[in-house]
Amino acid sequence: MDKSAIATIRNNPGRVLTITVMTIIAGIQMFPLIWLIDFSLCNSNELFTNGILVWPKKIQWVNYVLAFTNGNFFHYLKNSLLINTLAVVLVLIISIMAAFACSRMEWKLKHAASILMVMGMMIPVHATLLPNYVIYDKLGITDTIWALLIPYVAFSLPQGFFLTTSFMSSIPKELEEAALIDGCGIYRILAIIIFPLMKSSIVTVSIMTYLNNWNEFMLAITYLSSKKWKTLPFAILEFTGQYSSNYAVQFAVMALSAAPALIIYIILNKHITKGVALGAVKG
Amino acid sequence: MHKLYSNKKVIFTLMAPGLFVFAAAILAPILLSVYYGFTDYSGIGKSSFIGLDNYKTLFQDSVFWTALRNSLFLAIGFICIQHPLAMLTAIKLDKLQGKAEGLFRCIFFIPNVISVAVIAYLWKFIYNPNFGLVTKVLKNLGFTGQLNLLGSGNAIWSVLIVLIWHGFGWGMLIYYTGVKNIDPVMYEAASIDGANGRDIFFHITLPLMKPVIQVNVTMAVIAALKQMETVYLLTAGGPGNETQFMASYLYKQAFQSYKYGYGNSISVMFIVICLISTVALNRIFAERGE
Amino acid sequence: MKKRQIGMLLCAAAAAITLAGCGSGKTKTEDTKAGQESSKETGKESSQAAAGGDVVIKVFSNLPDRTSGQGLIEQTLFDQYMEKNPNVKIQVEALDDESYKTKFKAYASGSDMPDLVNAWGQPSFLDEVIDAGLLAELNPADYNDYGFIQGALDGFSKDGKLYGLARNTDVMAFYYNKSMFEKYGVKVPETYDDLLAAVNTFKAAGVIPVSMDGSDKWPLSIYINALYQQYNGSTSSKEIREAVKTGDYSNEAWTKSLDQLKKSIDAGIFQTGFETTDYATSMNLFTNGQAAMYYMGSWEMSMATNENIPEEIRNNIGVFNMPAVEGGKGTKTDLTAWNGGGHAVTANSKVKAEAIKLLNYMYQPENWSKLCWEKGVCMSAQNFSQYLTGKETALQLEFVDKVNNATSISGVTFNDLGTNQFKTVSEDASVEFAIGQLTAKDFTDKLAGAMKK
Repeated sequence: MDKSAIATIRNNPGRVLTITVMTIIAGIQMFPLIWLIDFSLCNSNELFTNGILVWPKKIQWVNYVLAFTNGNFFHYLKNSLLINTLAVVLVLIISIMAAFACSRMEWKLKHAASILMVMGMMIPVHATLLPNYVIYDKLGITDTIWALLIPYVAFSLPQGFFLTTSFMSSIPKELEEAALIDGCGIYRILAIIIFPLMKSSIVTVSIMTYLNNWNEFMLAITYLSSKKWKTLPFAILEFTGQYSSNYAVQFAVMALSAAPALIIYIILNKHITKGVALGAVKG
Repeated sequence: MHKLYSNKKVIFTLMAPGLFVFAAAILAPILLSVYYGFTDYSGIGKSSFIGLDNYKTLFQDSVFWTALRNSLFLAIGFICIQHPLAMLTAIKLDKLQGKAEGLFRCIFFIPNVISVAVIAYLWKFIYNPNFGLVTKVLKNLGFTGQLNLLGSGNAIWSVLIVLIWHGFGWGMLIYYTGVKNIDPVMYEAASIDGANGRDIFFHITLPLMKPVIQVNVTMAVIAALKQMETVYLLTAGGPGNETQFMASYLYKQAFQSYKYGYGNSISVMFIVICLISTVALNRIFAERGE
Repeated sequence: MKKRQIGMLLCAAAAAITLAGCGSGKTKTEDTKAGQESSKETGKESSQAAAGGDVVIKVFSNLPDRTSGQGLIEQTLFDQYMEKNPNVKIQVEALDDESYKTKFKAYASGSDMPDLVNAWGQPSFLDEVIDAGLLAELNPADYNDYGFIQGALDGFSKDGKLYGLARNTDVMAFYYNKSMFEKYGVKVPETYDDLLAAVNTFKAAGVIPVSMDGSDKWPLSIYINALYQQYNGSTSSKEIREAVKTGDYSNEAWTKSLDQLKKSIDAGIFQTGFETTDYATSMNLFTNGQAAMYYMGSWEMSMATNENIPEEIRNNIGVFNMPAVEGGKGTKTDLTAWNGGGHAVTANSKVKAEAIKLLNYMYQPENWSKLCWEKGVCMSAQNFSQYLTGKETALQLEFVDKVNNATSISGVTFNDLGTNQFKTVSEDASVEFAIGQLTAKDFTDKLAGAMKK
């Protein structure tokens, strides 16, 4: 019987070929970043030589030191962490509440409300850039954490709601029925029964929200002015302005800025895949 | 139980935050945008109501149509280039098993995690005709000329390459999860019936991936329409206005010229087009669906 | 019923916020900040000068690099002022030019403008801003002793009123690498044909002839303006203004300049991909020795003292004006120069008087004017001849020489003489013409059409 047509291939030439192809693709995906790190360790002038990848004559750790100290790297990193974590928490709370209402509760408008909640996905963020500036200015919240928090939450909410709802629909109703017999109210059901079961969905929504907002900078540039609340992308933008002739330092800043997200991603890689599976496919 | 689940107060409390956020942060700015789109507000000073003039100008504005065309190219690029590659990669990856599979899956997604600012800046470097990566590679291969990859005529394709490269990981991941969902029993059954690799792909894998394909295609079209940051950083819509997308164009009009009112009318048109596309796509897939 | 309540909540939220936003378009000169002050939660100290208390002046600057060049001087003066006036705190927000202009517009549409801002003394920037009443009026008599060069403050005046002070005398010219010229046996071009010959020599040697910042577009516009001056002679400034205002580009100097530019580009004068090369990259091509010349303004004279640039390059920079064209009426003493950068105080500033005091302090001749010359950073718009130390770099002296011997200057170049919209159209057109998407006639048609709107 020819079993090689089945899923697993082990230890045969087909596998070697596949791995080779995969490595090439991986190379294409990773190469610009390898190039980035390579030149971030060089002296700026070495960029103008003829090599594709250059082994630095002297590893310029100073580039990274400059990137760390001269910019407001830690301050911006802190702000990014704060704003993004808050955004994630808010998105989670609001999504779960709304998802429960729309998938479990019984009321006439629940379908319409669901559509409203999801509509945000179809609205491009930048279309609201200008009017939101006017609104936030009138409310006096430009250059505050709210100027970023509100749009970040608002535009991650549709996706969060969508994922949460589809996950919630797959939770069997029997558990709630049992709880009701025991005399639980809605809020207790939410907190004690539904919430613990939503772990996978929570991870997914958290990750998606983070990915959406961590690298966002268009809104940040427009709404923020003073150093106080600036986020990580500013580090890159400010450095490219300040060190315009020293490319290697700019590269170092970019590498540093990419590092946090990269590290977290590599650690949480499995969860992200699982999350995408549950979310995107079940939809 | 029914009474508990129809408790109006509870429903209200649960829904209020979500709906409030929607109204305040999405609906309100859109309404404001619609209002400004009917004026000639320049961003400062007085404004006056000019009715549909902005929209009339918009329809005659060649840049607007260029932007739409660019989105179309991008969507086609996603669907015809990125997705097939992503799907094939996903399928091959699925068969790989073992540590290699996890490793590659992790690596492929990495560009997605990196900030667009870094990606755009990096690629600008790569494309630089004087000392960029592309030029160096070509030089090493013996080609001595200098390709002006971000110049007139070439720019849009160069931008497309960056966007396709950047989104590859995401598309691949979604197809991967779709492939993983296919029960291996299907493959076994098919091979017992004597099907070869190609048959399996076209008659089993592809049909079972349909929901995933739909999701991916919809997301691709929306992403193509919404494109802004990468192109803004890479070419700022240039040279001339060749690589403008709607979002970057509206930004330019509102913030760089003093044409706030016009920028908002572009904004409104943009939203309308996004909505129509989403609804149309849903219809198409619903009809074709089970 | 439930749905009515939800519906009302939605409508109320959307309506309230929308109305709040709608109102902003009309009332620019009113300021209802009382209620908002208390709800602000940033670290913004109250910018109201309490009796004998601290004053906070918010400055918005377009000089992001505070460690060298003009940015350093600006910061130095701020620090000095704060030392002398301990009750004053100066908060600086600095962005690069493009981001600055964008943010400026955002500020202008809002209610929270900084107190002291950078401003360009050009109609394309100032006209609409002044018309909206955003800038504070200054008293011209205050500045009689400041030594401002004749006409320097014209760009900051409208209808006889003064709204800002000029801080730079900007001259656009060709920087060139002296040792490269020597190496390839090229002499400083006296005529434009000489320049084209030099282009050929450099190209054959694999060197970029002239590094051009095409991505910012205005350098190309200025190049066209400079060529026009060479074709048309010393009356160009007036005629260009007329042309922009009336839309009449029939003067053949336009076509001749455009054709000459096209010819040069076809001969390979600029680097490949010049239309997308940004400011920093174009400068780096020159400072890293890959380009023999660099078309940019006198504010980059600090290249001669910038330690980040290799010594063999920064000690060998010279400068020459747009060379004379055949059959043209202009000569090398017809400068492409203007007084561009400057500062202004915003009209609604809560600390207006204090901000004006700071402004006046900065522009006292012994401050800005002296410092920026001594550090070899730029030329102020004031007479700085008394500050010549004798230790100037050769580059500085060449610029001073050009300014002192100029027989005519262009003033603000055509792209900045109209509305902001005109600026966008004319600059886009300059690039589009340069890359061959427009003919010379298309170019002038576009410019003519842009002012009619």
